Amino acid sequence: METSTVAAPPLAVETIGLTKRYPLTWKRKVLVALDGLNLQVKQGEVFGLLGPNGSGKSTTLKLLLGLIVATEGEARVFGLPPESLEARRRVGFLPENPYFYAFLNGDETLRFYGKLCGVTGDKLDKRIEELIDLVGLQNGRERPLRSYSKGMLQRIGLAQALIHDPDLLFLDEPTAGVDPLGSAQIRDLILKLKKMGKTVVFSSHLLEQVQEVADRVAIFSLGKKVLEGSLESLLTENQSTQVLIPAEMNPEQQERLRKFIGQTGVNESEIRFTRPHLSLEQLYLRTVQAQPDFVSKDSPRP
Amino acid sequence: MISSLHRILIIARNTLTEAVRQKVLNVLLIFGLVLICSSVTVSQLATPDIDAAGLFSEQIKFVKDFGCGAIGLFGFFIALLSTALLIPQELDKRTIYTILAKPVRRAEFLLGKFVGVVLLLALSVALMSLAFAATLYWQESVGLAAVEANYAQMDLKHTPTAQSMHDHDAAQIIKQVRDPQLVEAVLLIFAKIVMTAAIGLLISTFATSWIFTIITTFMIYLIGHGESLARTFWLSHGAETTIWQSGLIGLIALLIPDMNSFTIVDEILAGNRVPWHDVLNLLCYANVYVIVLLAVSVVIFDYREI
Ligand SMILES: Nc1ncnc2c1ncn2[C@@H]1O[C@H](COP(=O)(O)OP(=O)(O)O)[C@@H](O)[C@H]1O
Ligand SMILES: [Mg+2]
Repeated sequence: METSTVAAPPLAVETIGLTKRYPLTWKRKVLVALDGLNLQVKQGEVFGLLGPNGSGKSTTLKLLLGLIVATEGEARVFGLPPESLEARRRVGFLPENPYFYAFLNGDETLRFYGKLCGVTGDKLDKRIEELIDLVGLQNGRERPLRSYSKGMLQRIGLAQALIHDPDLLFLDEPTAGVDPLGSAQIRDLILKLKKMGKTVVFSSHLLEQVQEVADRVAIFSLGKKVLEGSLESLLTENQSTQVLIPAEMNPEQQERLRKFIGQTGVNESEIRFTRPHLSLEQLYLRTVQAQPDFVSKDSPRP
Repeated sequence: MISSLHRILIIARNTLTEAVRQKVLNVLLIFGLVLICSSVTVSQLATPDIDAAGLFSEQIKFVKDFGCGAIGLFGFFIALLSTALLIPQELDKRTIYTILAKPVRRAEFLLGKFVGVVLLLALSVALMSLAFAATLYWQESVGLAAVEANYAQMDLKHTPTAQSMHDHDAAQIIKQVRDPQLVEAVLLIFAKIVMTAAIGLLISTFATSWIFTIITTFMIYLIGHGESLARTFWLSHGAETTIWQSGLIGLIALLIPDMNSFTIVDEILAGNRVPWHDVLNLLCYANVYVIVLLAVSVVIFDYREI
């Protein structure tokens, strides 16, 4: 064991026994929205919070942003208390079903949130251009948010979350209510952020999407974390191996391969040959994107 | 410190933008402007037919009362509506999350919102005062034209008496219209409106419905007017006040601003001299009161579950 003199970089997120109870005054009961959560997210990870509605995902994110106060337990963001300005300078947030000021247009919205974060002048102008490009909202720059579709709101939400170039992103149901194409774009964006070294913590109840981007996931139920681990370890079936051959094989070829593998000591009769399937999502995306007159995003139709 | 102030101003500006782009407030303001301008016509209908000089003096008094009354009333409505909706709207639509997730303190958010409302009120009062000034000027020219017409009809128009009567009437009208004390009146009205807004803000930091905020603010406003009367009444029966009664009076005086002192606006409108010193005193009182209310609001809002 090496005892390093250099302190390890602080965890992006750490919670110890984090609990949130809401008193239900009219019933003289309390509602436990989050129950003793212990969680650690390393810097650079993409972490997925899974669980049915009401399981405490949004509560967790709000606690990590200092928007609500924990009943018990502790939360740290980069080793700092979540409600401190230093912590929030390094954090970006996309709320669930985001809603912004309906009377501002896309540009004004980004300008407003940018200035609040202390981004100004040329730097802000440049950043707005970049983000509009990144989320593909060219057609929303001059339109008031009142007229935005759900997908556009989600995208302007992502852009405002990124305006101050934060190191850590909290995305609450980033793909809820977005069409498959839009949600694939959001997924690609999360992967892009990961490549840039950002930490992303997001919640979702759509499992396929989580599977494609998350390094690790935690599954919540009724305010409790019931399972946690890397997708790799949670999803691998250790009892089998898959070989992908990018060609069609006739029965004779299959037989020869079966024999060949049999020589390694594997029971020949347990080897199965199947054709891999596309997921419906992959099929959908391929089809839609292959259209010659395909126009990306919510551009107005002629 | 600087960046804190900066954030407050950014939020204030956004609040003002929101208000300006909102239909209700615009309609209210336009209604107020039209009403103020219409007072010239109304003044001619409302005043009885008496001798010329008295007539104009009455009409000008009417326009002044009407104008200041309208500024106060519409300012009051705008203040009440905009503050009562200020926080509930943010909570309902959860836009508050998007702001407080940024490096912004809750106090900065609340103060920014309030400054935005004060800017809105300043803008509204300024616009209405412009309309008021224009209306007064209009009334003045109507008056002077009538004096001229009157003089032209006179048989003895070139006698020194007629000449001096004419000059006197004209000077009287101009003096009454261009009364610098009107600036004091508008400032006092503005201070009163801002106080109302601060009361509304304080209540909305803990209220769960904006209707509650409006009703409570309105009640406090009314009590604020009756308060000093009650106090005088009680104290005049000095011997009978128990320690509880004086305690209660003290508590009410502390909690509820004394709105009645702003009735010196009526003195100004009646043409009586009100020294700047008194006006400044009252403005200072309003200022201190608003600051105290804001401090309490910030503390309550910090504890509020959003
Ligand atoms: N302000 C609140 N008052 C009372 N209960 C709340 C409040 N916010 C959330 N809850 C409850 O806490 C539980 C967890 O909610 P949430 O974290 O939003 O779930 P989700 O996993 O769907 O995001 C739910 O049962 C919800 O009803
Ligand atoms: Mg949720």
